[in-house]
Amino acid sequence: MSMDTLGPLSGIRVLDHGHVWAGPLLGMSFKDMGAEVIKIQSPSGNSGVSMGGRGMPGTTAGGDVEELDPMGFHAFDRGKKSLTLNLQSPEGVEIYKRLVAKTDVIVENFSARVMPALGLAYEVLSEINPQIILASLSASGATEGPWRDLVTYGPSLAALYGIKSVLGYHDSEHPQEDQADLDPTAAGHAFFATLAALEARDRTGKGQHLDIAQGEASIQRIGEPIMDYLLTGRIAGPQGNRYPGMAPHGFYRCSGDDSWISISIRDEDEWTRLIEFCGDMVPAIKDERFSTLSDRLTFQDELDSILEGWTINYESWDLTRQLQKIRIPAYPVMGAIELAADENFNALNQSNLVMRNTTYSKDAIYRGVVWKLDDGWGEISGSLPKAGADNNDILIDLLGYDGNTVKDFEMRGVI
Amino acid sequence: METVGPLAGLRVLEIGDFISVGYAGKLLADLGADVIKIEDPIDGDSVRGHGPFPDDIVHLEKSGLHLFLNTNKKSLTLDYMSVKGRQILDKLISHTDLIISNNTHQEIQDYSLDYASLSRNNPQLSVSSITVFGYDTPYRDWLGTALTATAASGAPTKIGHPEKAPLWLPYCAADFHGGVHGAIAALLALRMGKISGQGHHAWISTVEVIASYLNGSGVPHFVFNGGLASRDGTHRSGFYPWQVVPAADGYMEVITMVDDQWNRFTKLMGNPDWAKDERLRDRWTSFEWHEELDAYWHPWLKERTREELFEIFSEHRIPFQPVNRIDEVVASEHLETRDFWQTVEHPVMGTYTTLGAPYKFSETPWHIYRPAPLLGQHNQEILTNLVGLSEYEQQRLRDSGVIV
Repeated sequence: MSMDTLGPLSGIRVLDHGHVWAGPLLGMSFKDMGAEVIKIQSPSGNSGVSMGGRGMPGTTAGGDVEELDPMGFHAFDRGKKSLTLNLQSPEGVEIYKRLVAKTDVIVENFSARVMPALGLAYEVLSEINPQIILASLSASGATEGPWRDLVTYGPSLAALYGIKSVLGYHDSEHPQEDQADLDPTAAGHAFFATLAALEARDRTGKGQHLDIAQGEASIQRIGEPIMDYLLTGRIAGPQGNRYPGMAPHGFYRCSGDDSWISISIRDEDEWTRLIEFCGDMVPAIKDERFSTLSDRLTFQDELDSILEGWTINYESWDLTRQLQKIRIPAYPVMGAIELAADENFNALNQSNLVMRNTTYSKDAIYRGVVWKLDDGWGEISGSLPKAGADNNDILIDLLGYDGNTVKDFEMRGVI
Repeated sequence: METVGPLAGLRVLEIGDFISVGYAGKLLADLGADVIKIEDPIDGDSVRGHGPFPDDIVHLEKSGLHLFLNTNKKSLTLDYMSVKGRQILDKLISHTDLIISNNTHQEIQDYSLDYASLSRNNPQLSVSSITVFGYDTPYRDWLGTALTATAASGAPTKIGHPEKAPLWLPYCAADFHGGVHGAIAALLALRMGKISGQGHHAWISTVEVIASYLNGSGVPHFVFNGGLASRDGTHRSGFYPWQVVPAADGYMEVITMVDDQWNRFTKLMGNPDWAKDERLRDRWTSFEWHEELDAYWHPWLKERTREELFEIFSEHRIPFQPVNRIDEVVASEHLETRDFWQTVEHPVMGTYTTLGAPYKFSETPWHIYRPAPLLGQHNQEILTNLVGLSEYEQQRLRDSGVIV
């Protein structure tokens, strides 16, 4: 294999027990960076493939009305191998243990009780392979605590850990529903942690168990209001689009249907440039009440309404270009359709890959890879595996079982 | 103090300003890397002036955001955009494994902060660049805050009331997301370096990171499966229920996709007739009638406190959970049991409490070895030991304002 085909994670083998979102996304991250990822599925069902519900009906790229969801959660399995294995049977566990001996990383997002209940606690796995890294992504952590065994979803976990309490309008206490970004936040932290554990293993030769509580990874991003409470006793509520230390800071209505521009002013230089630009058109913005940041924060309601009285006259892209020209952070609030046509966004190669989706025998569009390495790594490869597609390769070639034994496993539902 | 984290022995320079690069640096430092934060000689990183502050009195050593984001780091004040400052930076780079930065494209060009220039004297150096719009993309010159990045990602289209403004991800969440992925890119570049025998450059765009998060599997899903749907306020369309519902003393998050969970909920309410409503049979289409359907069961929640509801729902394995306030999260028994909160000794603050580990490592633990540094606290140590400057030379740099 030539050097330029090696990715940062070439030579790393990952067993992926991921289900729903955070787990499969973590597995996919490894695959995208060159690892071999084997998805472990139950022979009886499609556990681990998707949300368990149906895809949201919608119009596909080809214009068909589509009920399945080939571009949705299933897409997290692109490029993975699939092994169907009954972990409830002793022979299934035996096969699994043989596989563990040849594996670098195991990824799972079961609730904390599941792996130990299968007889596959970290202690057992590390006995087989001391180099193994087990990344466990549970909701609230693997150790004791009243929230350990909760049944939960990303949005309810965001509520429990306080993240939702600051999402909403500043003039109402009722939080708004979120964008459901807790799962990918946790998966990102988990990928970072596992890469760090690989660094440690390079040095020490030892693997370890990573207990990643999705809530504890996600709560970091409300560190600021938490520190505010710890230092001053203030309890932050919903903030709208406001942020301490910057004003104006918000989304302002533009001409057209539900069209908005984001404008954020970080310092007095940016503020001066803004009022030089628009002051003749909206003299009210030159009012002394807005001359310092603390004044602008105090009179933010008035400031916002004056500013919006000006932005409403502009088309959002037109105003964005004019503001960026005078070095002011601005961008339209993108809708989905605009995003698909966004020149900069398309240059990031996020959404333009059409690949064969073998599960549904149709083409699908996959999300791209967010980490760009200068030498070209950062492109996706592989399609969705059919359940059990790689059973023979893994059992015979990798684990050394003979063909008849494998057939027998298959007949008895072990694989 | 000798560190034992998984990244012990890794020397990192953190160059740039505010949250995204600071969070990336924190993730590395809390896992044992030796992270040198390079700060503006006068005001330091702008998180120091940002607050929140005890008694709301501005103090560069007492900003809550600084005390949280800069644990375990060393602080070197250096005007690396000056000629003399750059010479010091270059010397420091020869002792460095990794640089993380969020410099703007303008700064990268004006001050030769591109990978080729940074690594000129150290081909083993890896660099991770955190950008808003991308490193080599059409709008790389544009300015962006966390608000700008959130707007550009498309995330706000689904957050907020349809007749009001869409909402951003509050408290600069975009910068935290950029920081995590900048830190991932850094470790990927380092691994690439081990394979090829020389350093690598990696970068991320915060806009793209958030767009990739959009519900489902990122932009493709968002665009083609439901991208046309509007904001639904306190609800979310798709399946029913998925919403924030008032309780007697606050709010509950009510979401389930699983029929058994929904059925356990209606059973708990005494199997009322409304639960047999035809429109609830397929909960992937029920949202259309949500106002009427909500009225069946919202009052039941409104009569009970979040604590009561949480207890009942947990007992029946129903995934409806309270919207906890910040003070309630800090007081949570669960986080206490997990030893989440960290108390840190600090020369100016005395002690302070900050957030704990995002993950627990069984062998090479996440750990806070030292508090966020005072501005320029490690100048002498770094300039003497790593850069090799005499006390006389350091005094001259102080006199000319290159360091403080």
